[in-house]
Amino acid sequence: MKPHQDIVQQVAQFIQKDRSEETDFNEMALRLYSYQYQSNLPYRTFCMQKGKTPRMVKTWRDIPPVPINAFKEVTLSCTDSEKAAAIFMTSGTTQGIKGKHYHPDLQLFDQSMIANFKERFMKKTEKIRMGILFPTEQTMPNSSLAHYLALAVNEFGTDGSHYLMNDSGIDIERLLEELRRAEETGEPYALLGASFSFVHMLEELERMGKTFALPKGSRILDTGGFKNQSKELSLTDFYRLLSDALGVKRSNCINMYGMTELSTQFYDDGNEQIPSVKSGPHWIRTRVINPLTGNEVPKGERGVLVHCDLGNANSVTTILTEDVGVELDHGFLLLGRVQGTEAKGCSIAAEEFLNGAKGLSE
Amino acid sequence: MKERAGYLPDIGVEEFEIKTLSFQGKEAAVEVEIPLLNREQMDKVIEKVKKASTETFKSFSVSDIVHIIDQAIARLLDRSSPHRQKAETILPIVTGYDAEIIRLGLTSYLKTFRKHELQRFLVEDLGNPFMLDDFQPRVKGGFSKAMGPELITHIWSGNVPALPLWSLISGLLVKAGNIGKVPSSEPLFSGWFAHLLVEIEPKLADCFAVVWWKGGDEERERSIFTQSDVVVGYGGNESLQSLQSRMPVTTRFLPFGHKISFGMVSQSSLDTRKAWQSVHRAALDVIRFDQQGCYSPHIFYVQDGGNVSPREFARFMAHELENFQTTYPRRGLSIEESVSLSTWRQKEEMNLFTHPHNEVLGNQTGDWTVVYEESDIHFAPSCLNRVIKVMPFNKIDDILPVIAPHRTFLQTAGIAANPEELFKWAEQLGKIGVTRITALGSMTSPEAGWHHDGRFNLLDLVTMVDIESSAKEASEQFAPYID
Repeated sequence: MKPHQDIVQQVAQFIQKDRSEETDFNEMALRLYSYQYQSNLPYRTFCMQKGKTPRMVKTWRDIPPVPINAFKEVTLSCTDSEKAAAIFMTSGTTQGIKGKHYHPDLQLFDQSMIANFKERFMKKTEKIRMGILFPTEQTMPNSSLAHYLALAVNEFGTDGSHYLMNDSGIDIERLLEELRRAEETGEPYALLGASFSFVHMLEELERMGKTFALPKGSRILDTGGFKNQSKELSLTDFYRLLSDALGVKRSNCINMYGMTELSTQFYDDGNEQIPSVKSGPHWIRTRVINPLTGNEVPKGERGVLVHCDLGNANSVTTILTEDVGVELDHGFLLLGRVQGTEAKGCSIAAEEFLNGAKGLSE
Repeated sequence: MKERAGYLPDIGVEEFEIKTLSFQGKEAAVEVEIPLLNREQMDKVIEKVKKASTETFKSFSVSDIVHIIDQAIARLLDRSSPHRQKAETILPIVTGYDAEIIRLGLTSYLKTFRKHELQRFLVEDLGNPFMLDDFQPRVKGGFSKAMGPELITHIWSGNVPALPLWSLISGLLVKAGNIGKVPSSEPLFSGWFAHLLVEIEPKLADCFAVVWWKGGDEERERSIFTQSDVVVGYGGNESLQSLQSRMPVTTRFLPFGHKISFGMVSQSSLDTRKAWQSVHRAALDVIRFDQQGCYSPHIFYVQDGGNVSPREFARFMAHELENFQTTYPRRGLSIEESVSLSTWRQKEEMNLFTHPHNEVLGNQTGDWTVVYEESDIHFAPSCLNRVIKVMPFNKIDDILPVIAPHRTFLQTAGIAANPEELFKWAEQLGKIGVTRITALGSMTSPEAGWHHDGRFNLLDLVTMVDIESSAKEASEQFAPYID
C-alpha cells in the first residue's frame, strides 16, 4: 500500500472508534505530523523555521499550527496537488488569491462529516426531508460547504428534499410551498444553509408577513455567519427571529462552525444561550492560544483558536485560525473573527494606508 | 482608583450625566469618570467660553499667557509635584505604555513648552509676537494685528499621552476660547492641564473647556462646529472626512490626518565605530510609544556600501530592540493587536519561502520584530508595536519613486548622513512630500516651533487685521492737532 493510503486507512479506523483517549489522539496526531513533515516541503520548511522538528514535537500540542493565510501562499499537500479529486477554496481572498485545500480523495472528509453530522444534527432520526439554502455542488465545485450540504442531502435527506435556490437567490415560492407542506402533513422538516441566506429569508418572510409553525422534530442548521453580508443583526436577534418565523425552538437551531482549511466540523447543541458552546468529535481537538507567544492562555481567557484535525491527513493537521474563543470544559465559545485594529495614536494603520493607495496605479 | 476627567467652566449646573471609562493596567485599574453634556449644557459652555475669551482672555498680554503656561509646565516637569506624580501613576494604566517610557516621554515633550521655547514658537510664526497684543508696524507700510478666534474646537485622538497640548497651547497663545474633545483612549492629561492653568491664574476659569462625547454624534458636532471659528481635528482620513462633512463653510477646518514616517541611513554614517550609535538612536525612535506617533518610523532605508551593511544594520537593530525590551518593555497588547501583529509576522515568514535572502528577526514572545527585506524595495506601513523593516538601497533615486505616490501620508524622515547629503536629500524628500527632517533618535520629539505637517501652529489659527497705510495717512488730516 502507498504511504498516503496507508495513513488514510489508519485515520479512517481512528474515526470509526467511539471515542479516543489523549494518548491515542496524540499517537495518531504525531504519526500524521511526521508523515506531513516528510511529504510536504513547504510545511517542513515552516516547521524548521519554528524550530519544531520531529525531535522537538512530543505531543499534539507541540505541532506548529499553520496560519490559515498559508493556504493562500503555498501548496500544502502531501500528494501531487495536480491530481487532487477536490480543491476547496476559501471565499475570502488576499489580493485576489484564495486559500486552497487539496483533497486527493474525499474519503476522510466524507467519513468525518457523515459520522459527526449523524450524531450532532440527525441525532436519533434516520432521514429527514431537507431544504437547502445554498447552491449545489455542481454550481460551486470548489466550495466545501456545497459538498458538505450535498452529503447531508444524499446521506440523510428523504427523496422529497430540495435545493431552494435559483439564479436570483432564494426560490421563495418553493420555500413557502415546502414550509406549508410541512405544516399540513406534520412531517418534520430540516432547513440547512448559509447564515446569510437565512437572513435574506427572514427579510422576505417579514416583508410578506408570513410565519410558520413547523412540526415537532423540525430543525435548522446555519453556518458561516453573516457579518458584512446583511444588515447588522446580533446573534440573539437572529435566532429569535428564526425561531419566531419558523416555529422551531432555539434549542433546535444548530450552528455549524466549519472552515475550508479543515475536514471536520464543530456544532453546538442549539442556540438558546448566546454565544453557544461549540464542540467537535473525538478526532479534532482545539487549543486557545496567545497568538504572539503560541502558548495556551489560562482557561476562561480569550485567545485565538488552534484546531488539530486528524481528518486533514493530506494537508496539515494543525491550523491557526483568526477566530477568537474561550476554552470551556466541554468545548469552546466562538466569539467571532478578529477585527482589524486601528493604530492607537496618529500613526497610520495598514488598512487606511491601503485604502489610500487603492487609487494609485501600481 | 477613580479619576475625574475633563474641565468645565462654571455654567451654573452641577448635575451631569457621567460616563465611566475603565482601564486595566498591569498592576492596577482606574475608572475614569467624564461628564457627558447634553445639548443645552454644551451650548451654555460654548457661550461661556466665547464670552470669557472676548471679555477676559483677550485682555491678557501674550507675555502674561506665556508666563502662565510656563508655570504650569514647570509644575508638570517637577517630579515631586502632585500633578506630575498623578500623571506618572495613572497614565501608564490608561495607555498601557511602560511607566518609564511615559516619564521620559513627558519630560522630553513638556520641555518644548517652557518660556523660551514658547517665545521661539511665537517668533517662528509671527516674527513679532506683539502682533497678538497690538497693531504693529509692517515693513511694507501700515499696521497689522493678529486676532485670535473667539472659539477653537479641538478634536483630539489617540493614546500618546499629552499630545493634545500642541493644539491647546497654540490656541491659548492666540488668546482664543478653546474647547477640546478628549479621546477615550487617553481622556485625562488635557483636563489636568486645564485645571492647573486655572490654579495658577483663576481669571482663566471660563476661557476653556475639556469635554467628551462619542465621536460621530452628528447633531452635536454640527452644532458645535457652527459655533466655532476654527476646528482642529486629529484622526484617520475617514473620520476627518466625516468631521468635514459637518463643517459649515464659514468655519475653518484644520485636519491633521494619520501619517507615516521613516528613516534613511547613508553609507557615510555606517562605519564600524559610529554605526551602532545610529542604530541605537533609531531603535529608540521605534520603542518610544511603540510607534504610535505620526513621527514614528515604519521603515529604515539603509544604503549599501558602508562598512556596516544594511543586513548588519538590521541585526544590530534586533539586538537593540531586545535590550530595550528588558529596560522599557512594550505595552501589553489586546488579542486583536496580537493577532494583527502575529498575522503580519507570519506573512513575512511565509515570504521567506520565496525570498530566502530576507530575514525575519524576533524573540520567542513576539515583543519586537525586525524584517530585513532586499527582494522588493517598497513603502508600506508596519503593523506598529515595535515592528520595523530594514531595506537596503543604492542611490536615493532608487527609493524616491516608491515613496512619492504616498505624498499625502508622509511626515518625518529621520536621517543619518553627512552635511552635504543631508541638504541634498532634504531637498529631494521635500519635493515628494516629507515635511520634517530630523536626526535619528529625535524623530519622536519634535523641536519647539516645528511646522506640524508643514503647517504653521499659530498663523493658521489667527486672522490678520490690517490697517493700510492709506488709512493711517488719511487719519492724520483729521487729527485735532492738525496745523
